[in-house]
Amino acid sequence: MLKSKTFVKKTRSGGVMKIVREHYLRDDIWCGSEACTECKHESTVLQKDACIESNLCSYPHYLVPDTNVVLHQIDILEDPVIRNVIILQTVLQEVRHRSAPIYKRLKDIIHEKEKHVYTFTNEHHKETFIEREPGESANDRNDRAIRVAAKWYSQHLKASEAEADGLKVVLLTNDQGNKQKAEESGLLVYKCEEYIKSLIANPELVDRLALSNDEKNEITSSKVLFPEHLPLSRIQAGIKSGTFLQGTLRASRDNYLEATVFVQREQDDGTEVLIQGLQNLNRAVHQDVVAVQLLPRNQWVAPSSVVLQDEGPAKDDGVEDEDEENVLKTSAAESARKLTGKVVGIIKRNWRPFCGMLNVSHIKESTRHLFTPADRRIPRIRIETRQASSLVGQRIMVAIDGWPKDSRYPNGHFVRSLGGAGEKDTEQEVLLLEHDVPHQAFSQAVLSFLPKMPWSITPEDMVKREDLRSLTVCSVDPPGCTDIDDALHCRELENGNLEVGVHIADVSHFIRSGNALDKEAANRGTTVYLCGKRIDMVPELLSSNLCSLRSNVDRLAFSCIWEMNHKAEILKTRFTKSVINSKASLTYAEAQMRIDDTNNNDDITVSLRGLNKLAKILKRQRIAKGALTLSSLEVRFHMDSETHDPIDLQTKELMETNSMVEEFMLLANISVAQKIHDEFPECALLRKHPAPPPSNYDILLKAAKSKDVEIHTDSAKALADSLDVAKVDGFPYFNTLLRILATRCMMQAVYFCSGMDSDFHHYGLASPIYTHFTSPIRRYADIIVHRLLAVAIGADSTYADLTDKHKQSALCNNLNYRHKMSQYAQRASVAFHTQLFFKSRGVLNEEGFVLFVRKNAIIVLIPKFGLEGTVFFDSKDKAAPNIAFDEEGPTLKVEHHTFHIFDKVKVTISLDDSNIQHQKIRMALTEPVIAGVSVAIPDAEPQAKKPKLDR
Amino acid sequence: MAGLELLSDQGYRLDGRKATELRKVQARMGVFAQADGSAYLEQGNTKALAVVYGPHEMRGSRSRTLHDRAVINCQYSMATFSTAERKRRPHGDRKSTEMSLHLKQTFEAAVMTQLYPRSQIDIYVKILQSDGGNYSVCVNAATLAVIDAGIPMRDYVCACTVGFVDETPLADLCFAEESGGVSSLALALLPRGGQIALLQMDARLHQDHLETLIEAAMTACKGVSKVLDEVVRQHLQERSVLSGE
Amino acid sequence: MAADMRLPTIRKTVSLTVSSHDRKDLVVPGDVITSDTGFMRGHGTYVDDDKLTASVAGEVQRVDKLICVRPLKTRYNGEVGDVVVGRITEVQQKRWKVETNSRLDSVLLLSSVNLPGGELRRRSAEDELTMREYLQEGDLISAEVQSVFSDGALSLHTRSLKYGKLGQGVLVQLSPSLIKRQKTHFHNLPCGASVILGNNGFVWLYPTPGQQEEEAGGFYTSLEPVSLSDREVISRLRNCLLALAAHKVLLYDTSVLYCYESSLQHQVKDILKPEVMEEIVMLTQQKLLEQEG
Repeated sequence: MLKSKTFVKKTRSGGVMKIVREHYLRDDIWCGSEACTECKHESTVLQKDACIESNLCSYPHYLVPDTNVVLHQIDILEDPVIRNVIILQTVLQEVRHRSAPIYKRLKDIIHEKEKHVYTFTNEHHKETFIEREPGESANDRNDRAIRVAAKWYSQHLKASEAEADGLKVVLLTNDQGNKQKAEESGLLVYKCEEYIKSLIANPELVDRLALSNDEKNEITSSKVLFPEHLPLSRIQAGIKSGTFLQGTLRASRDNYLEATVFVQREQDDGTEVLIQGLQNLNRAVHQDVVAVQLLPRNQWVAPSSVVLQDEGPAKDDGVEDEDEENVLKTSAAESARKLTGKVVGIIKRNWRPFCGMLNVSHIKESTRHLFTPADRRIPRIRIETRQASSLVGQRIMVAIDGWPKDSRYPNGHFVRSLGGAGEKDTEQEVLLLEHDVPHQAFSQAVLSFLPKMPWSITPEDMVKREDLRSLTVCSVDPPGCTDIDDALHCRELENGNLEVGVHIADVSHFIRSGNALDKEAANRGTTVYLCGKRIDMVPELLSSNLCSLRSNVDRLAFSCIWEMNHKAEILKTRFTKSVINSKASLTYAEAQMRIDDTNNNDDITVSLRGLNKLAKILKRQRIAKGALTLSSLEVRFHMDSETHDPIDLQTKELMETNSMVEEFMLLANISVAQKIHDEFPECALLRKHPAPPPSNYDILLKAAKSKDVEIHTDSAKALADSLDVAKVDGFPYFNTLLRILATRCMMQAVYFCSGMDSDFHHYGLASPIYTHFTSPIRRYADIIVHRLLAVAIGADSTYADLTDKHKQSALCNNLNYRHKMSQYAQRASVAFHTQLFFKSRGVLNEEGFVLFVRKNAIIVLIPKFGLEGTVFFDSKDKAAPNIAFDEEGPTLKVEHHTFHIFDKVKVTISLDDSNIQHQKIRMALTEPVIAGVSVAIPDAEPQAKKPKLDR
Repeated sequence: MAGLELLSDQGYRLDGRKATELRKVQARMGVFAQADGSAYLEQGNTKALAVVYGPHEMRGSRSRTLHDRAVINCQYSMATFSTAERKRRPHGDRKSTEMSLHLKQTFEAAVMTQLYPRSQIDIYVKILQSDGGNYSVCVNAATLAVIDAGIPMRDYVCACTVGFVDETPLADLCFAEESGGVSSLALALLPRGGQIALLQMDARLHQDHLETLIEAAMTACKGVSKVLDEVVRQHLQERSVLSGE
Repeated sequence: MAADMRLPTIRKTVSLTVSSHDRKDLVVPGDVITSDTGFMRGHGTYVDDDKLTASVAGEVQRVDKLICVRPLKTRYNGEVGDVVVGRITEVQQKRWKVETNSRLDSVLLLSSVNLPGGELRRRSAEDELTMREYLQEGDLISAEVQSVFSDGALSLHTRSLKYGKLGQGVLVQLSPSLIKRQKTHFHNLPCGASVILGNNGFVWLYPTPGQQEEEAGGFYTSLEPVSLSDREVISRLRNCLLALAAHKVLLYDTSVLYCYESSLQHQVKDILKPEVMEEIVMLTQQKLLEQEG
């Protein structure tokens, strides 16, 4: 039963240490098979009739993959076809040691009930534990352990079989030596490829096979294209001595031959090292952590401004790439040259499955094809598939298996198809995948934590709650909003003061910490709003029903109640869990109408007027303190109710009531932030908005100066004030443009844990402290804040992770990441729908303003569509016009016309769908007319449709 | 790379035990003729030797004498060869002083010191090999030694360390687990009455988990007490058979 | 010098099959002996929740209503009239402190010793000053328990000529429970040595004195060399005692003597070898049984 494990370990100081560890062998580890009658297991995982139809194994069988099979063929194992697999502990441990992401995936597979995967703890089983023999390497020992365990299984199943089911165990290995030895000991053993190819029902699995080593030799010529990567030990030594630098590779979006490596060094803030050319990139892929060696100074180059895409048919590996790279060799001024280096080794690959499309090989019979990822920073990948013809025009996912040094492209394998390119659902899927937005349906485990319907408020729920159902509470939201997370009320007290309440959906009542629902929500972090689609953070039952503060139903809420005087000064603040019954769910417009309608004097309207009055004062106060009112154009699509295609596009309108709601939300957030920070100085979850560094404002200052307007950026207040006064006669849109520019200068606001940071200031809101409390249905941060506040007022109990500042901080990182990604996804979604919109519109002619001036282009904003686009002045097919760029202005002189920021121009807008993966909006100049540059005004034909758009 | 996986999904720990399982405990009483009581105890790879002298007249400074009960004097030490790295361990370093103090507190709670006014009971414990849970092993060894010395106690004192991993309490941590960043708790229990003689924890743990952890520690201590009980009864039987009629 | 070395051997497991001995009531600390409140609490027990509970590991003894638990091994619990052998640890005003394997050092009052010059001599201040001349730290004495103090400490006296300071000889420290209570604990063994079997487990072996020296009340010690044969006898006796103690045989004159006789076929130094020890003890036990029968 007891065995001690002894091994020798080297200490840090160089001494040799003998470490003795206990290793218990057990006789109560069961085989996990349904067919087994010997083992006294409580629950079985492996099925009795474990049938995968296969030519090789016509009998029911269990699969035992070895470590390398798991590491390389995880995609296969993930397939639902593959069931009844025995993962040995030896394998699990080795995988854990070798690759964290695959380990994670393996664990997911194990947890999947339908897969029937059983983990057999062979290392602690009395009969399958083996000791390493003298002269045996660790790997050999593990291989032997796997064989011994497989052998045990086959004998065990044979012995326990009363009825002749003929259950067998099949060992999968790719190692020739291992296979041979297994055969010698009488095991059923196949190579993974052999086995998969033998599967009758599922030929498509073959495509997912990762290319293994011996196959690679077939496709690639023996010619070595890339220098060898250095071993990790030498890289580490090099980094230590300073000859190599470590950093994350960021491939250039525009030029596949160029990348930068951001190196974090102790002595400075970090530098960027330029990597140019395939040889120097040396098989590094975007996001990989690499080791870089600097080139001698005379080989330094400047980043090229050329746009280069790896296009065309697959290049033969033998062909020299010099032609491609010659393009780069433009002599640059000495001053423009940058630190240049080459990649000598990869410290950590950061490969994920990539979305993209297949370029079918010109040879019809070929099974090897190139795959072009949607993300331009990722190189093209060579995959092998027999279903190329059916994959053409589809968005597919591909994983990289490796990049041998004699191959021009990385090798990968097909994972799955997402659907036809250009289709809305497919594109949405791509968008979500590329932005890492978790969007699968909620799992059964998650849904099991939902309250049972029909749900009602129980007396236990009332114990710590105030009954505020009698108050005249109402909610004001955008039209069509189903996840109402805030409601308001205002009433006059007997002492003449006003009582204002903000009632927020009590989501934390339904989502209890630590359960699957909570974990899922924490992972999702935020609800993602795409055009016409919402990716919920919490299941719909909560988001649109139980938590949503709909009118005329009792709902649980978390209330923040102030007593204010008529000057909007807060006299008293109070937080409480409550039950409310909203009297009305209004849209902004409806609320505005009620306020404006002087004849209407019902409770709701009076309450709204009171709120509106206070909000105006609050806003004034806030602006006086230096809060910024910034501007960005947001657009709304009018969707066709059947096809869900955008039929109209309009910029969002802001009403007084918008700002009324916003004002109280801000106030609630600030009050809550103070409260939780007082209570939990170490672990309050807050939100900060750092002041931007002065250099960020350069562009704004220059732009304003061109119109003789002075902008002060010393403080938020100075900026706000100077923005307020910035006006140019006859150019009403100037102020908005200026604000749009100012917005671009800002930093990103982030969540953080108060124990980990000292700077709490929120620059944009000019508040010393801030958090998010008011939207728990769609933001996870708010749920945490709710929990903190609940503990602070004694309405709920605390739990371990809530007060652990490191866990809190890790959570913040995830929330910030999800938040950023959701914004990108949102933008991408808008862009996609804009494209769809213009696709149906044909070519349009619109008025716009120059927002930025670039070296070879101007960026134009079309206020009508909130659309931004680039007008290039040099294109491939045309001779470049005379362009002169002045950085001071900044201005761009094209032929005889000089473009300034804020210039009014007219452009045509059309959809460029020449590249189906990267459709884009193309703009061309129509006014001012510059010979050879501007285009003619398009036919009036689309104008015919226009009246419908004008509103 | 993440550290060691202390508890696998299948519920096995690094050394193959389940979460609630103790290590193998082996013990022998009366290993020295010279001392009044002595015992040797192995708990997995942690091995300790405990020796008890007394009760006897106060030695050293007489000022420490208590007029209503006996003074318990504990000394904890570790052998130079007890850890993987050989290390000279001078007497009275901070760690062993603290440990001595803990032992003293533990045994003051269990030994009926009021029966021996003005006297002194010496308990010396030495760790011969250390593999986690030093405190508990010392307590368990010392309990046997005290019983061997025929000194009256209310009950056995059994100690056990428990750690908290993945929301699961692990009983009787080994060194690898202790150093794996687990918040661990040591508990000495008088198992019959369920009184806690000493509870020590210097890691951070959320209040919600404390109860489950203590619960687990108590169960583990009761497990230890069963083993000790067996050892004592065995010893008793042997001796009474030896002494014949 | 030849040294005898052996490899470690497996400890002999005493067979526990002799269940006839099991009628003995063995308890461990914390065991409830009875929850009947009609009993009286004796040594080794305490009352917890109205239950009489054992506090030591040992054998339960009932005397009428009194229940006590006698531990296997314990320090010496003195009773009045016991003969003890002890060692002076301290000289204080008017008294000596004597280590007697008891839980507190015993006290020998100046007034409880026979001083030279007659029994009824008054103790003067001078005597107090010269106490160290009679007995000093490290000296061994034999004495009798005069009384027991409330804290359990013993008061000794040497008011008899048989008690007093011990001269040349060998002290063997054994468990007090092995000493059989007898009429006398002073024995002149026929083998040529004398033994004092102190009730406290201290046994003193010494050459049989030529004739009872009357004077000095035992404060005089002869420093004459002891003959080799005497020393050999004493050594053999010592090893015999250890052998008997190792096998938990009660010690009294007969057992010691039988053991001595049984050991004669072995060399003195061999007696402590386990197998020899076993053989000798077996023989002794046989003889004792014969004698009893």
